[in-house]
Amino acid sequence: MTNIENSLFSSYQKGGDLYDEIFDDTGNVKDVYQKLFSLYGEHSIEDYVKLNTKAKSSFFNQGITFQVYSDKETKEKIFPFDLFPRIIDPTEWDIIERGSIQRSKALNLFLWDIYHEKKIIKQGIIPMDLISSSVNYLHQMIGVDPPGGIYNHISGTDVIKHKDGKYYVLEDNIRCPSGVSYVICNRTALKRALFGVFNHYQTYSVTNYAENLLDLLETVKPKGVDIPNCVVITPGMFNSAFYEHSYLAKTMGVELVEGRDLFVENDFVYMKTIKGPEKVDIIYRRIDDQFLDPLEFRPDSALGVPGLFAAYKKGNVTLANAPGTGVADDKAVYTYMPQIIKYYLDEEPILNNVHTYHCSRPDELAYVLEHVHELVIKPVDEAGGYGISIGNKLTKQEIETVKAQVKENPRKYVAQPIMSLSVHPTYIDDTESFEQRHVDLRTFTVLGKDREFVLKGGLTRVALQKGNLIVNSSQGGGSKDTWVLKN
Amino acid sequence: MLARVANNLFWMGRYIERSEHIARYLNVNYFSSLDAPNQLSQSRQFVLRSMLFMVGDPEKNNEIVLNEEKVLYKIGLDLQTPYSIINNVKSARENANSARDLISTELYEAINKFYHFIINYDANVFVKNGLHDFTVNITEMTAILRGKIRGTLLHDSVYAIIMMGINIERATQIIRIINVKYNDALIAQGSYDEKFSKSFEWTTLLKCAESYDMMRRLYKKTPTSISTLEFLILNQYCPRSIMNSLNQVYNHVKVLDKSIDYDKNSTAFLVGRVRSEFQYKHIEEIEGNIKTFIENILESLSQISIKMEKEFFNY
Repeated sequence: MTNIENSLFSSYQKGGDLYDEIFDDTGNVKDVYQKLFSLYGEHSIEDYVKLNTKAKSSFFNQGITFQVYSDKETKEKIFPFDLFPRIIDPTEWDIIERGSIQRSKALNLFLWDIYHEKKIIKQGIIPMDLISSSVNYLHQMIGVDPPGGIYNHISGTDVIKHKDGKYYVLEDNIRCPSGVSYVICNRTALKRALFGVFNHYQTYSVTNYAENLLDLLETVKPKGVDIPNCVVITPGMFNSAFYEHSYLAKTMGVELVEGRDLFVENDFVYMKTIKGPEKVDIIYRRIDDQFLDPLEFRPDSALGVPGLFAAYKKGNVTLANAPGTGVADDKAVYTYMPQIIKYYLDEEPILNNVHTYHCSRPDELAYVLEHVHELVIKPVDEAGGYGISIGNKLTKQEIETVKAQVKENPRKYVAQPIMSLSVHPTYIDDTESFEQRHVDLRTFTVLGKDREFVLKGGLTRVALQKGNLIVNSSQGGGSKDTWVLKN
Repeated sequence: MLARVANNLFWMGRYIERSEHIARYLNVNYFSSLDAPNQLSQSRQFVLRSMLFMVGDPEKNNEIVLNEEKVLYKIGLDLQTPYSIINNVKSARENANSARDLISTELYEAINKFYHFIINYDANVFVKNGLHDFTVNITEMTAILRGKIRGTLLHDSVYAIIMMGINIERATQIIRIINVKYNDALIAQGSYDEKFSKSFEWTTLLKCAESYDMMRRLYKKTPTSISTLEFLILNQYCPRSIMNSLNQVYNHVKVLDKSIDYDKNSTAFLVGRVRSEFQYKHIEEIEGNIKTFIENILESLSQISIKMEKEFFNY
């Protein structure tokens, strides 16, 4: 089966240099995609346009939307969803899964260390400066023992496939990684639209995330609690990720609270219910460190709960993730990941790290300034794809601006070779055809006490603009259902 | 359940119910007026004024000639009027949003569809020839929502709170509609020999409450003032009657308050008391003094609401 007829792909253009997830170098469909390719070939592009419209309205009716504010009115938009799934075979998935767990565990041990004895710094493996200069390092957390010894209960690892066919980690997200609800929605939407294709593949279900999350969170309950009471805290319904917060609370079967629903008395946390106060033991928080507790962090925060941090320090409540984890998903710490893994686990990294130049080091800074045109320059402390400059897309003038910015504040920037994210056929509305688009993958790892869980699927994000490498939804990215095949 | 979320669910129930009553009121009054037996009931001005009275925004100046399209838009789709149907549906959805983790996906999707239906309804079509289609859709969608509430939620405190909202709102709206139609019947009497007790407005009133057919089945006679009021206020088997709503509120408050002897300051105590008062009333008592009666029942309903706020929605 090398040459499969498929009219959907008659105008599909393969860029020479790019790693295509479904076509090999000779233009043939890879084994794992062959069945899917021929099944999709049974549809005409007109069918496909209809299915796509239906899928969109399914998202609308499910209320899986985010708000766009303009002067006149607020509009609701759906996250673009692509009906052509991404398939990951069991061998590759095994690498991704083990690699994600390895990184999460290493980061957890790293966090414990830097908030306690700081051995890794004392032994000169990473510089003190890296920690002390990070805005996300919370001195309030020094010496605090989080229940169960877990800091990053939930980690989102962003992985890409480079043109060499290998997986690389682009970043670790261990503050409040989001997107897991879209994994499940994408699956639901694809099932509604093209249920037939699932008959031909043995795909892992993705609906078991919430139950595993709750199970693992309960393993790190505060001491002395028998049956813990868990809640999800959200900034409120106007937050762009509110759908996800409510989804998680609903599927975990726990209350979704806002800061104003909670109060602290004698260092215990309570929520205000219709039957009076009820004690809360585990809080899966979806608000940032700085807003958690106005008494300890930003005093103007209306989202948090006064006294929450004191209750946490006493060990009366579990916060997931722990405050202060942001210091470890800093892009500068990222560059030390191979050393961090080696130091704490005595293992070689399973997933590759992209080589990184630290602008804080004079010799590397010099190299970066010379080679801006072939590097990606990233601020170390920004999320959501903001502030990134991709060297080969810049004009001469823009290169000079970037250089000036980097020189101004070298600690703020790191640089990496331009990684070529793999491409995947993606349906494009404007042209009503399939085109190559860059994709990445965010995996979701949950750490509990002596147990861990990786969601077998993850979120494949698609950069919808042609040639664009940034997949974040805030920058116009879409997503795909992701199938992990059973052995 | 969180007190704040309980409050939102209570109001979700109220807004769903409210949008239905307004929609049906517009529909029934507009269409039954088209071939009404007397001139006044047929008059478009009379109907438009009645509609504005019902939503609590009466036009006090008798000289003003109302513009039909403007009035319909104002009550149906105008986001600037707080009582408009569109704002009710919007509020119902916002309240559902904040309690999304507690209600079923099925219920949420139905509310959301409802919202998208109304938000995308062409205002021009609505005021020109869409009144029937629009209002029928609203009433059907609210029926679907009630079905999803009953059929997909756990019948626990969440359900009890929503049902209390629905039933308190239903009693409130029915009593308001009775008030408006009572008023209309007073105005219409004398026109073409129409007697107050046999006014055409009683039929309209029953239709507004979706109770006309069942009333005919029970009484087997043309509705009169006394039989209509008896049916809509005191008949415990009529699902739209005040008595029925109070019974339901009572049943649901028992889910929230499991004590055997109610505290004298509790919601359950108050609901039980108001309910018993109605159970042992007869229509002659009411008929003689309908105005006072209406004021009293509205006051009792609002007292129940206030009590609930203090007892359950304290956050």
